[in-house]
Amino acid sequence: MNGADVKVFFFGKLGEAVGRMVEIEDTEAVTIADLRKFLADQYPHAARELENQSLRACVNDTIVGETCQINGADVEFFPPLSGG
Amino acid sequence: MVRMLSSSRRSPGVRVVIDTRLSHDIFDATSEFARFAQGLTDEGGLVSFVGVARPKTKDGADVESLFLDHHPRLTERSLEEIGQAAAEKFKLDKLAIVHRCGAIAPGEAIVFVAAASRHRRAAFEAADYMMDRLKTDAVFWKREDAAGGSRWIDPTAADRAERARWSE
Repeated sequence: MNGADVKVFFFGKLGEAVGRMVEIEDTEAVTIADLRKFLADQYPHAARELENQSLRACVNDTIVGETCQINGADVEFFPPLSGG
Repeated sequence: MVRMLSSSRRSPGVRVVIDTRLSHDIFDATSEFARFAQGLTDEGGLVSFVGVARPKTKDGADVESLFLDHHPRLTERSLEEIGQAAAEKFKLDKLAIVHRCGAIAPGEAIVFVAAASRHRRAAFEAADYMMDRLKTDAVFWKREDAAGGSRWIDPTAADRAERARWSE
């Protein structure tokens, strides 16, 4: 079975380290946890940030947990917020 | 975005004006306050706060620029949510939030908040509340570009403690 194509968006520090958006073709990643692991392997210079649980995943504009299934949706990763 | 909301905690027909804006360009806080104050009638207290980009890092280096990364949808939504929460919590008549994004030079305003209420206490507290929430809950990511390099800024323990003061 072929995997889905997924667009992944990064903000803040990771947006700079990885890029604003990467498109992953035919990914085997089913959950957010799988995707983190895949990305950490792809971007070893950013692996520590990618595996840090303070980096939250967001699907359809909602923060989701590690077991959330991606199902071809866009995934966004948010480092801790710092406004004001 | 300006919203006229009926609040469930108010008498029927009484409305609150919530004006939140994400600004991609420099803004003038004095003009914002003048605009905010227009049309107010029954309010006895107006409080505003302006957050300004500092010229020095915490280590004393000269800041060349501050950069605020933002999200194309959720940043504005977070400003609206904080404004609505403040209006409800402090039963305000009117409030405003203006928040910059992008590159900001030292001395420029980053954020402006204002609150108008029948009595001063609610207006003071609402401005304090909005700033504490903007620090930790507004969807921004802040980078300080200084002579010695760039650094992404995480919220501090103090920021989180200030935010926690308002937890129900």
